[in-house]
Amino acid sequence: MRRVGIGLLVALVLGAALVAATARNSATAGTSGAKVDNITIWVGWSAAELKAFKGVVAEYDSKHSDVTVKVVGGINDDKITAAIRSGKVPDVVSSFTSANVGSYCNSGAWIDLKPFLSKDKIDVNMFPKTSQYYTQYKGKRCALPLLADVYGFYYNKAMFKAAGLTSPPKTMSQLTSYAKKLTKKNSDGSIKVAGYNPFLGFYAGNAPDLSAYAPLFGAKYVDGSGKSVISKDPAWSKMLTWQKSLVDWYGYKKLQKFNAGAADEFSASHAFEIGKLAMMIDGEWRVAFIGREHPSLDYGTAPAPVDDAHPELYGAGYVNGTIIGIPKGVKHKDQAWALVKYLTTDSHALAIFSNGVRNVPTTKASLTSPDIKPDAHFKTFLKIFANPKSTTTPITAAGNAYGSLIQAFAVKWQAGHAGDLAKGLQKLDKQIDAQLKQAQAGGVP
Amino acid sequence: MASSAAATAQPLDRTRARRRAAWRRRRLVLLLMAPWLIGFSAFFGYPLVMSVYLSFTHYDLLSSPKWIGTANYRYLFTQDPQVGEAVKNTLWIIAVMVPLQVVFAFGVALMLARARRGVGFFRTIFYLPALAPPVAATLAFVYILNPATGPVNVLLKHLGIDGPLWFQSPSWSKPSLVLLGLWGVGNIMIIFLAAILDVPRHLYESAELDGAGPLQRLRWVTLPTISPVILFSVVIGVIAGLQYFTQAYVAANVASGQASQAGDQTVNNLGYPEASTLFYPVELYQHGFRYFNMGYASAMSVLLLVVAFTITVLIIRNSRRWVHYVGAAK
Amino acid sequence: MSTASVPVPTALTRRKPPASVRRRRFLMAVANHSMLIVAAVVFLAPFGFIALTALMTNGQALSSHLWPNPFRWQNFVDVFHQAPIFRWALNTMIYACLATLGVVVSSIPVAYALSRIRWRGRNLAFGLVLIALMLPPVVSVVPLYVMWAKLGLVGGLGPLIIPNWFGDAFSIFLLRQFFMTIPEEYLDAARVDGCGELRILATVVLRLAKPAIAAVALFSFLYTFNDFFLPLLYTRENPSRWVLQIGLSEFRSLHQVQWNLTMAATLLVMAPVIIVFFLAQKAFVEGVTLTGVKG
Repeated sequence: MRRVGIGLLVALVLGAALVAATARNSATAGTSGAKVDNITIWVGWSAAELKAFKGVVAEYDSKHSDVTVKVVGGINDDKITAAIRSGKVPDVVSSFTSANVGSYCNSGAWIDLKPFLSKDKIDVNMFPKTSQYYTQYKGKRCALPLLADVYGFYYNKAMFKAAGLTSPPKTMSQLTSYAKKLTKKNSDGSIKVAGYNPFLGFYAGNAPDLSAYAPLFGAKYVDGSGKSVISKDPAWSKMLTWQKSLVDWYGYKKLQKFNAGAADEFSASHAFEIGKLAMMIDGEWRVAFIGREHPSLDYGTAPAPVDDAHPELYGAGYVNGTIIGIPKGVKHKDQAWALVKYLTTDSHALAIFSNGVRNVPTTKASLTSPDIKPDAHFKTFLKIFANPKSTTTPITAAGNAYGSLIQAFAVKWQAGHAGDLAKGLQKLDKQIDAQLKQAQAGGVP
Repeated sequence: MASSAAATAQPLDRTRARRRAAWRRRRLVLLLMAPWLIGFSAFFGYPLVMSVYLSFTHYDLLSSPKWIGTANYRYLFTQDPQVGEAVKNTLWIIAVMVPLQVVFAFGVALMLARARRGVGFFRTIFYLPALAPPVAATLAFVYILNPATGPVNVLLKHLGIDGPLWFQSPSWSKPSLVLLGLWGVGNIMIIFLAAILDVPRHLYESAELDGAGPLQRLRWVTLPTISPVILFSVVIGVIAGLQYFTQAYVAANVASGQASQAGDQTVNNLGYPEASTLFYPVELYQHGFRYFNMGYASAMSVLLLVVAFTITVLIIRNSRRWVHYVGAAK
Repeated sequence: MSTASVPVPTALTRRKPPASVRRRRFLMAVANHSMLIVAAVVFLAPFGFIALTALMTNGQALSSHLWPNPFRWQNFVDVFHQAPIFRWALNTMIYACLATLGVVVSSIPVAYALSRIRWRGRNLAFGLVLIALMLPPVVSVVPLYVMWAKLGLVGGLGPLIIPNWFGDAFSIFLLRQFFMTIPEEYLDAARVDGCGELRILATVVLRLAKPAIAAVALFSFLYTFNDFFLPLLYTRENPSRWVLQIGLSEFRSLHQVQWNLTMAATLLVMAPVIIVFFLAQKAFVEGVTLTGVKG
């Protein structure tokens, strides 16, 4: 009998432990005790940028005594999709991958914000056209823009002076010749300083889905009917041929070793920041990073060089942004919406946040807000953002899945494993079309 | 009359007693087997059946499953651009890693069996890496095999050899994983060691008397006697190869050097580089838990089940030819 | 036949083999030993590199220097500041201990029923256990995830721990093989004393099977401690429930690949298992042998 008693006690303890273990003490909407509600927001920023965001949220908190906002940083889209599927969602989510808005809206993972917008009488035209585009899919608006990213050109002025170059390159052929001039090699042949690193996958400017290069060559992803035209638009083969020739000039293996020895993109030893890279295409956030980590770096910003055949594209760049929305299954919808509205439409909040992370504010009003700290480098990006030829990648029901297909091909191509370029691009088109078809039909992947 | 009545009463009592005992035994068995019965149905039987069902649907966990017939299988066999790579990679890792692991483990065990002194010490050293958590070991190897600054390539450079790109090269990434796998053969090696030491001495002695040299003794005495252990390692290795996930996942993420923060997270790292580390379970995970195409992932898992079953049966059938169970057929 | 007249050798004396054979044997032993030493160095080298890197500064870790200068022991402290290692360790312990306990508690009765009681369908059940052993768990992952999601348990350690309380095929197999080697006489003696079957199990069998149970517990602990796939599936979006393996894999991206700290963290994660191994060496090796040789 005593054994039974002990056994029961053990079972109770274990049961309690099990319950404690399975309970999730995580970021979900808490029970509303009395009047103060806890809502949680997930964002992708971390470290210093997260701090800036928390500052903005703190201001919101002080203005709204009925909610306390908990901020969780370092989130990526995998975690968002997993959370929504498992039913344990935060109240507000934000993602860096605006290209995924198609799948979020189409599947209903993020709820439609139109009722909230009309209730509060918000006109979406307060957001720039491109930002409007990447926050909706086929008329369903399930997200709003929260600061945008613009890609431009950074160049090391000191190195330019030493090589006798006076202004940043405006065309791809200029970029190529400057790159070759500015490259320095070690005694064993390895790359010491790279003039321009064209390796797809090296830092964000070389995103392997070629998103940063597409606007510079005027390359179109899809035609009017939504079919993939990568093999038909000559800009793509021009782009890929140019890119591969520069990779081959450096030497594929040598570039790989250079990349492997380069520091992480968001560390203070970023290759451009420590002078191992003379020129690069990167987003506007780099201005804040350099200001924080290497304020004495002598550098300049400009629009990225464009295809020689299309000089009219100069001044444009790739645009995308952070999107913010409310996932399905949220209980405190109104409070969630209030926070979203504040973050996305309040000029002051946007300006303060933009100052903190040096991303582009996303309402027409905030672009000219007096709260924005002036910065000559940053101004370049504001101009690129305003350029009508700046574009973003197409929004599809498959989200960003087509980017993965392009990436798989481009990476193989630059390694010389893809065979005939024209044939490869045709196959790529077929794959993308098949993928889009299935995603729209709600059928197979 | 009384005796006959008593006589018929006794057998009846005995039957009743026997029946009661049997019933009690059945109840006991049920009690003992209960956890497993529940577990088997809930965590084995049910998922199997559901997998088959879901494989005929489109299901993303946000709305109920939608029946689409064999569309998943059609896409799987004809249109999915990456499944071909995934299957090839998995077959490669099984065909290369399993034999190498078995041979390497056997070789090391043989050396240990022959050693006179310090066996325990060496045995510990060889077993330690097998204890290392796969995540930690993979991280360590990706660092050590860094093409530019990793110790291996630095040492090779001192020797005048231009080291390969290891985890950064599509042709070297799987061999790098094989190296990682060989580092951790401790488990199999211990089993081989015990089996080798178990081989009866008199078999060696009689072979020696017959004039067999050391190599022949190995071929005709050692190997056949430990063949059940070889079979065991091969089967375990194949099953492990069919579900090879953790090392590939961690290596791809780390080697591709992408931080999961800030900037445009449009790139998908699994399989880095160039889908060379995209194994079937990794692809399954991607479809099921990144894209949440659970119907398609179920179709992939059904295919995996069929393949796993077939390969295992084939190996075991084939083993009858070369495996000798000592004491069985005498 | 009188045997007394034939001189029977009382002890078999081995003649010393000729010098040439002895020399050859000695050389072979030396060769074998040197190969062992080389192999040992190769096996230990990665540990060495990890340890050295764990003591470097970040800049040195990124360069091609192999020796830290100076030795930065501070790294091991920094690791704890950079990431919630204690929380991860706690989660890992909860998972590993509860799961191991569950495996032991639930597998013993099953193994006993499959080995020491005759009943109809016993062989079928054992066959099913074997089949479950061969099943790659990847196959059942999708429906199980759906089930746990519907139960609202995704994000916690529940889906990881609970299945272990319903029997584990490998442990059942191992225990059954071992139970079958227990001589029936022990059990009969207990039966004669009037013990019921359950009592026999609880007292006689458990005591006799201690090494096998220890091996099962060790293997379970090791497996759950090292587990990455299941925690990845179920707790990835809930950092407060991360286990050490998940934390380690995400450590590098949380903090922009500071390799020196990452290697220090790697060492810290490897340490517990290695310590447990040294404390329980005998049980480990016995257990591994049990699986392979008796399997």
